[in-house]
Amino acid sequence: MKFEHTIEMPAARDRVWSFVMDVPSVAKCVPGLEGLEDLGGDKYRATMKVRVGPIALSLGSDLSIVEKDQAAGRAVLAVDASDKRIGGAVKAQMTMQIAEKTPSTTQLTIVTDAQVLGRIGDFGQPIIRKKADQTVTEIAENMKKALTATSAT
Amino acid sequence: MTTFDYHEPATVAEALKLVKQYGDDAHLIAGGTNLVIMMRQGLVQPKHVIGMRKLRELRGIAPTAQGGIEIGALTTHREVERSAMVARFFPALCETFGHIATVRIRNQATIGGNVVHADPAQDPPPMLLALNAEIVIGSDGKTRTIPATEFFRDFFEVALEPGEMVTAIRIPPQPSGVKGTYVKFLPQSKDDYATVSVAAVLKLGKDGTCEDVRIGLGALGATPLRAPKTEAALKGKKLTDKVVADAAALVRDEVDPLDDIRGSAKYKREMARVWTERAIKSLLK
Repeated sequence: MKFEHTIEMPAARDRVWSFVMDVPSVAKCVPGLEGLEDLGGDKYRATMKVRVGPIALSLGSDLSIVEKDQAAGRAVLAVDASDKRIGGAVKAQMTMQIAEKTPSTTQLTIVTDAQVLGRIGDFGQPIIRKKADQTVTEIAENMKKALTATSAT
Repeated sequence: MTTFDYHEPATVAEALKLVKQYGDDAHLIAGGTNLVIMMRQGLVQPKHVIGMRKLRELRGIAPTAQGGIEIGALTTHREVERSAMVARFFPALCETFGHIATVRIRNQATIGGNVVHADPAQDPPPMLLALNAEIVIGSDGKTRTIPATEFFRDFFEVALEPGEMVTAIRIPPQPSGVKGTYVKFLPQSKDDYATVSVAAVLKLGKDGTCEDVRIGLGALGATPLRAPKTEAALKGKKLTDKVVADAAALVRDEVDPLDDIRGSAKYKREMARVWTERAIKSLLK
């Protein structure tokens, strides 16, 4: 499943770039993400807690920045997450592209390509798609808020 | 299925104590038609299962002092379908429950379990919304009531706080002369989940104008929905074919269906229009 989100960030292109490359700051914008560990070499590990009604997932997640090109404003984040107890996994690739709109605003486009495997996938792909879409929207909104808050200081 | 401890409290107070004690590790089980499937799939793995079958106080249908009815959470779908009291109160409510899945499921599944499961494609919720039903919720020593419209929050998510359980569904009195219907589009088999479903409740004035109308929709969003714009376009008007068709056309923008095996979102919006129009027209005959 693939979805695209575009959001206008209230900061200059370079600030937005440094923000999205700062994984611990972005991690704070991800609902349910806990215990981020920096493994070095642009690799991270964390746990993501997701709930859909009675189904509670605790996804052990490996995150890595697999591509970054500051001049082109493009970065690719790979996510490999699994819940061993319930038996299911999520593999996702998030491509982030930034482009200057005005000297103080930047357009951020996030293209997410995700696969849901195992029992989690059996639950109902259409619902998962909707939930994943909602989660990325929430992440983008939280990033916007975080940047606005740091701009104010 | 993983192992779990089974508890069988004899009273609601005891059950609520267990719900509070075990929190997220516990699951209440009523008819079990949803929970057992999810446990077999391994999607839900409670450490404690709290059986409700001894909670007789939650079973049965009673009139309320206001002239409505209260249906205990453990009342089965079949009991609602066959209840003479419900048939006198609002015949379309019996019909709605008669549409659910198969008789074997209706004999087992309960109204409380149904609303808590909160699958937006299930049959009772659209009718409960159209009847302005309220959900009665108990917790340790307290009871609160919230409108069904506020109870359903998201896919499989409801407004229950930790330590709470649904104890009853309360339906307020309906004005005299009000009629209702529940229709669903089942292109595959009779016991399938609906592609779209529509509950409509209508009261016409003496001069034939629409005095009140309430529309509940199933399988058309993350939760069962009301259709306020469509309702507003019908209220106070003579319900000619054109008025009904124009109002039903508005429902397409009041829904947010999923693309799935039962149809694309675009198709379901169109079917929502078709079945809303049919439901309203059937009440004018």
